[in-house]
Amino acid sequence: MNLLELKNKNLQEVNALLGIKDRDILVERFCALGLPSKKSEEYRYFDVKKLLEPEYKTLNYVPKTPKTSDKVEIVDGVVIALPKGMRVYNDACQMIDMDHFDPLYYLGHLLSPQTIKIELDGDVEVEIEHRFTKSDALINYRIVLYNQANRHATVYENFISDDIENTLVLYGYDMHLAQDSTLRVVKMQSMQDAGYGMVASHKVNVAKNANAILKSFDLGGDQALQLLKVELAERAHVDAGHLLYLNEDSKRGTVSQIVHVGEHSTSKQEAKNILDGKSRGIFDALIRVEHSAKYTKAEQNSKAILLHEDAYMAAKPQLEIYIDELEASHGATTGQLDRKQLFYLQSRGISYTEARKMLVIAFANTLIEQVKDTRQQERIKASFEEAFYKGNM
Amino acid sequence: MSSVMKIENLQAKIGDKQILKGLNLELEPGKVHAIMGPNGAGKSTLSKALVGHYDVELTGGDIIYKGKNINEMEPEERALEGIFLSFQHPVEIPGVNNAYFLRTALNAKRKHEGKEELNAAEFLRLMRDHLEMLGMKSDMISRSLNEGFSGGEKKRNEILQMLILEPEVIILDEIDSGLDIDALRAVSEGINKMKDGKRSFLVITHYSRILDYIEPDYIHVLKDGRIIKTAGPELVAQLEEHGYDAIEEE
Ligand SMILES: Nc1ncnc2c1ncn2[C@@H]1O[C@H](COP(=O)(O)OP(=O)(O)OP(=O)(O)O)[C@@H](O)[C@H]1O
Ligand SMILES: [Mg+2]
Repeated sequence: MNLLELKNKNLQEVNALLGIKDRDILVERFCALGLPSKKSEEYRYFDVKKLLEPEYKTLNYVPKTPKTSDKVEIVDGVVIALPKGMRVYNDACQMIDMDHFDPLYYLGHLLSPQTIKIELDGDVEVEIEHRFTKSDALINYRIVLYNQANRHATVYENFISDDIENTLVLYGYDMHLAQDSTLRVVKMQSMQDAGYGMVASHKVNVAKNANAILKSFDLGGDQALQLLKVELAERAHVDAGHLLYLNEDSKRGTVSQIVHVGEHSTSKQEAKNILDGKSRGIFDALIRVEHSAKYTKAEQNSKAILLHEDAYMAAKPQLEIYIDELEASHGATTGQLDRKQLFYLQSRGISYTEARKMLVIAFANTLIEQVKDTRQQERIKASFEEAFYKGNM
Repeated sequence: MSSVMKIENLQAKIGDKQILKGLNLELEPGKVHAIMGPNGAGKSTLSKALVGHYDVELTGGDIIYKGKNINEMEPEERALEGIFLSFQHPVEIPGVNNAYFLRTALNAKRKHEGKEELNAAEFLRLMRDHLEMLGMKSDMISRSLNEGFSGGEKKRNEILQMLILEPEVIILDEIDSGLDIDALRAVSEGINKMKDGKRSFLVITHYSRILDYIEPDYIHVLKDGRIIKTAGPELVAQLEEHGYDAIEEE
């Protein structure tokens, strides 16, 4: 399949190309937003054309009876293993955001009429492992995640690829956090030489008094973008953190919209970006405070360190506010490593490379150390150091 | 007399400004050299020049260390070879753990000398002993390097590094500024502990207080980018009474 064929098509044409019917509302949204291109606001800093251009093999997603494992294992979009006692359904998604900013959110839903529905039961900790094994393929799937009222769950997401080439992964979550619940999602992606591009388009609904903690650690190579839309009800809270370490000519980052709908909702978003080589980091983040969201608190910040003169950070924090009764702050900085700090370390006999590494890790650590589980924290630290060393041999 | 370090006709710029204007100084093994001089005379610039700081551009002269010209030597190499500067204003480095930093520095040095590296436990034992001696709190192990340290704590942390790294030429740039009486005593004890008859000290100070504790062998007066007088410790009293303007160039 060639995704570029979907460019500038109308409802009937898209239906015919994708072989679908009865999902006209979604198709209309997709047609209205249009296939992403250089001109689309949210894909402006990303090379989306390169991802859409190739002819991809499409896959059959035949549900399997999952075996028992200590984690959820999803291979090329199919669940093959689950922890004991966990319930997963293949089901249509009942709640689709009809006001999402990302066309690929709709395309994802259109391509994956059956979603992987996971109900987090009780106060659980789950690891979800995404594995990709097919080259030249379009791998698309969506996961619907429910967190029940008053429950506090944690999801650790990891990614593995088996030496693949030229594959596009379109995946994403629809997350539903019920009232008074907490969901913590820690996403770690570290494949340096991954032969795939990824566009992950999410929607996160945070109900009254619920708390979403979304931390992503992106240490990968090549191209990936996560598009995140979060909607906050009354007294709901989101704490989003994004660490990016890029090298060579990778282009990766986050495009997000945090929408405050309910009163007294709060949001905190922090991006830390470390860019080497000719890489480009993206943090294009909008916080929107609706008329209904009085007494909101919103805080947004992006910091970037450029390790090479050819690296570039596209940081665009934005506030869109329709009320007066709120506290909001945002900012973005881009700079180099502090020369004085580097010198101090060197003056004690620490090599330039080692000193640089210490400072970069120190910059990243404030985010990494927010991961409470020590085993996971150590894992992220180790992956970070590995990625950094690899880029600094 | 054989010197550990010989500074000959050193000229140095910071930006466009000529700060050191033909400075001569020899550091003798086992001796304590004190440098005194008015604000802005170039004392910190000299100390920075000796450790290869990026601010300072050498425009003439030589720094000879152990018989070798080190004008072009990288800062980390100078450190590994035994030159240590306690900074007038140590920088704060959030996120870099103090103990981890020091162990990395010590192990870099040990590796350079062909010695076995210390593991975390061995190092902690060493660090704890020194902390106690310097009257430092044990949370200095887990805190970030100099972050939020009081002025006195920063200076003690510099001395801690000196004690652990055991350098051969020790340059102390106003180690005594801003110290209370107890801190001054602890810091001086640390310095005295390092005296072994071989190490040389270059102590930059504005006050005689610290010199009472560490008993310098020589007093050098640095003014307008040059050493204009060298004498014994008796010079201190004279300076305190009459100031720098009364000093005639030798
Ligand atoms: N980074 C810099 N940029 C510009 N000028 C500088 C810089 N560092 C030092 N200078 C100037 O160089 C001169 C010498 O400074 P230096 O710090 O060596 O003096 P000092 O003798 O240590 O003085 P103090 O007793 O006040 O510490 C001063 O005039 C100072 O303003
Ligand atoms: Mg000074």
